Amino acid sequence: MESLALYATLTFSVLAALAATFLRDVLNAIIAFAAFSFGIAVAWILLAAPDVALTEAAVGAGITTVFFLVTIAKTVRPGGQRLTERIDWRSIAVVAVLVGTLLATVRSLPRVGSPDSPVATSRITEYYLQNAYPETGVENAVTAVLAAYRGFDTLGEATVVIAAGVAVLLVLRQEAYV
Amino acid sequence: MSQSEQNGIYVESTIIMTTVRIVVPFVFSFGLFVMFHGAESAGGGFQGGVIVAAAVLRLAFAFGIEPTRTWLEGPLTRIVIALGGATFAFVGLGALVANGAFLEYAAYGFGTDGVKYGIELVELAIGAIVSGVLVSLFFSLARGDFVNVSEQNGGDAESDGDNGTAAGGERA
Repeated sequence: MESLALYATLTFSVLAALAATFLRDVLNAIIAFAAFSFGIAVAWILLAAPDVALTEAAVGAGITTVFFLVTIAKTVRPGGQRLTERIDWRSIAVVAVLVGTLLATVRSLPRVGSPDSPVATSRITEYYLQNAYPETGVENAVTAVLAAYRGFDTLGEATVVIAAGVAVLLVLRQEAYV
Repeated sequence: MSQSEQNGIYVESTIIMTTVRIVVPFVFSFGLFVMFHGAESAGGGFQGGVIVAAAVLRLAFAFGIEPTRTWLEGPLTRIVIALGGATFAFVGLGALVANGAFLEYAAYGFGTDGVKYGIELVELAIGAIVSGVLVSLFFSLARGDFVNVSEQNGGDAESDGDNGTAAGGERA
């Protein structure tokens, strides 16, 4: 039953992604992209990863869509009545090669929920699950790893956010929107 | 000066305004909840920060981007970003001062609870950084459509001075 829901969600995401690729109007494509992100967020929930799902829903489906909308307000809509983009066969070939390469690696991944996947059998995983609560008093092991055991990495991430933000803001300020 | 004449996006709608007025306090609290509650359940600074930023963006959609930007005028968002970065860094450096490793919360000597509060402080700092960056990004992106050139130049001169603060926070 659960895997049926997962397959339905993934099918929806793939269809939404195809729609986002082929729709000609940018506004339509952005809405399809938001639907794709939403489908992926539901898939994360079904795979029992609520932290990632929350991020995907807030960032992918939420704020990115708003930024895209604000940005296309500055662009011009393509003319004509066509609903979909013309298919460029050379791009299709490149995408096919890329997707084929990635799909070839899927077989070497462990099955979802497999008890002998490297993540489940690793001693580090065992250590975190045993010690995260007694050592940090934090019940969510993900938060314990992010903020305590891997806190230095998270400081790096925060620095990246600040640096990227400052850089983009400086560049945007230079542009004269006339 | 009516906003609806200035741009094509903003439509003054009683329904949207009323809805946003009721919903925004709850969304804002939910964002803070996600930041703090990351310790007990799903969530954390990054997600909570995005939700808080979304609450501000919602205000901008309801009441017009330009009035909201004027309301947030000044170095507020940049100070929030810098404070977030500085808090995170100083929590880490403080542990060094207390003879621990960098970001070793236990070095502060408050036991397990101290570690937990240290983690929550860091989550709050991350939330401040993320929401500050997203809000200022949104208003910079949206600004061009709604400001005439002379106003924009005035804003430039004022904001350039504060950039040192943000960059300083990053280095700290």
